[in-house]
Amino acid sequence: MNEVGGHGQRARLWISWLVVSVLLGYGVAQTVITAAKLFTS
Amino acid sequence: MLSALDRRHTVAPPGYSRWLIPPAALAIHLCIGQVYATSVYKNSLIAHFDTSQTAIGVIFSIAIVMLGLSAAVAGTWVEANGPRKAMFVSACFWAAGFLVGSLGIATRQLWLLYLGYGLLGGIGLGIGYISPVSTLIKWFPDRPGLATGLAIMGFGGGAMVASPLSRQLLSFYDSGYDPSNAGSTASGAALVWLFVTLGVGYFLIMMFGVFNVRVPAPQWRPAGFDPAKVAAKPLVTTANVSAANAVKTRSFWLLWVVLFCNVTAGIGILEQASPMIQDFFRDGGVSSVSVAAAGGFVGLLSLFNMAGRFVWSSTSDVIGRRPIYLLYLGVGMVLYTLLAVVGHAATALFVLLACVILSFYGGGFATVPAYLRDLFGTFQVGAIHGRLLTAWSAAGVAGPLIVNGFLDAQGEPGTLTAAAYRPALFTMVGVLAVGFVANLLVRPVPERFHERADPDAGPDQDAQAVAERSGTR
Repeated sequence: MNEVGGHGQRARLWISWLVVSVLLGYGVAQTVITAAKLFTS
Repeated sequence: MLSALDRRHTVAPPGYSRWLIPPAALAIHLCIGQVYATSVYKNSLIAHFDTSQTAIGVIFSIAIVMLGLSAAVAGTWVEANGPRKAMFVSACFWAAGFLVGSLGIATRQLWLLYLGYGLLGGIGLGIGYISPVSTLIKWFPDRPGLATGLAIMGFGGGAMVASPLSRQLLSFYDSGYDPSNAGSTASGAALVWLFVTLGVGYFLIMMFGVFNVRVPAPQWRPAGFDPAKVAAKPLVTTANVSAANAVKTRSFWLLWVVLFCNVTAGIGILEQASPMIQDFFRDGGVSSVSVAAAGGFVGLLSLFNMAGRFVWSSTSDVIGRRPIYLLYLGVGMVLYTLLAVVGHAATALFVLLACVILSFYGGGFATVPAYLRDLFGTFQVGAIHGRLLTAWSAAGVAGPLIVNGFLDAQGEPGTLTAAAYRPALFTMVGVLAVGFVANLLVRPVPERFHERADPDAGPDQDAQAVAERSGTR
């Protein structure tokens, strides 16, 4: 087993969390826009 | 080539960050959560195939039944072969489901949609749902509720991503389609391209999870973690129980009842949410809640359903698994009673009660893997979780049946009021009471069901033992 490089792993961590955050953020933002109609309609 | 996906090739090297595992799990759950967004293109499919609501609704039902069946049947295979191979197989089935489904739409062969999205996609759903669970629990022995809550939150979030994305893609592929008009339907060609885009897109995102997921090395422990402190909590064992033995225990079936009751109660509201808020505030035949506002209410429930998965499951790491289910079920009974008795008094009160109830529904899903870990150990927790998910399939049938059964007896849709919902809501209080008592009766698993103790066995040896016994390596 090889040791994991610090910089490589940090980049991987950033990219991984960024991808899922963008996806989840898109879903949450779109749902909040829809949910706002409950209070504005 | 598939041997590169084997568990023995996915053991994490020293220094591998465990925080890479939750996004890997989320990559899978965010994709398969799409199954709850099928209503977006349901009307377009009905128009394209010129068929009934039921004929199209069957596609979703097949997928959910296959989810329960494949999670129950393939659980041991997932444990033996590791998360990477399981995630890869799940991605193949899930993507193939969309592609075969698109072929069915293109050729107007509905049975291909049943076979594709329903059968193949459903297998991808079941394997994908359980694939990261036991790995997360092994990486986070100090915070299993937080880890599984993060992943299972992704399943709730998946529908929130897929619904607006599908609407936007359909508008892109068919300029005549207006997603803001409930009566507008997309063309068959737009549906074909939607399915192809989703199939390819989801496959790529799921590969991201396949690439990042690792199992911890034998004897690996997080820094500063003392297993003795965790084991000192009530109902937490250091022993291990196999999936075959787990289903012979009383505690497994009590937990099955707990999950069944919690999901039945929540799904009853979730399935009826949009007409329910309109009916509660109907006066003289006219509802004060518009269709758009009712859609906003459904969106708000989705947010609370997703947030509850993370918040309540993480809280269970602090207060314990049994107390958190007492909260879901006990406070749930009070909230359902309030909804039935005073829910019609003010829209804000109705929305608040329903949102907290839905957060408990999500929390119940997300906390159950950690509860299983406490009772049965980490040895085959993924496989045991798979078997327990049959409670979800059963509740998916029971919840809507209870609510719709009572409402059908009360009158026609569009004419109902808050009073029409009371029998169904009080029945749900009874269902939750059964779950509450079942949770109180959960006891530690008797020693005769424990696996033979092996002081040298770490997480990976557990898996090797599974593989040797099941002959799947």
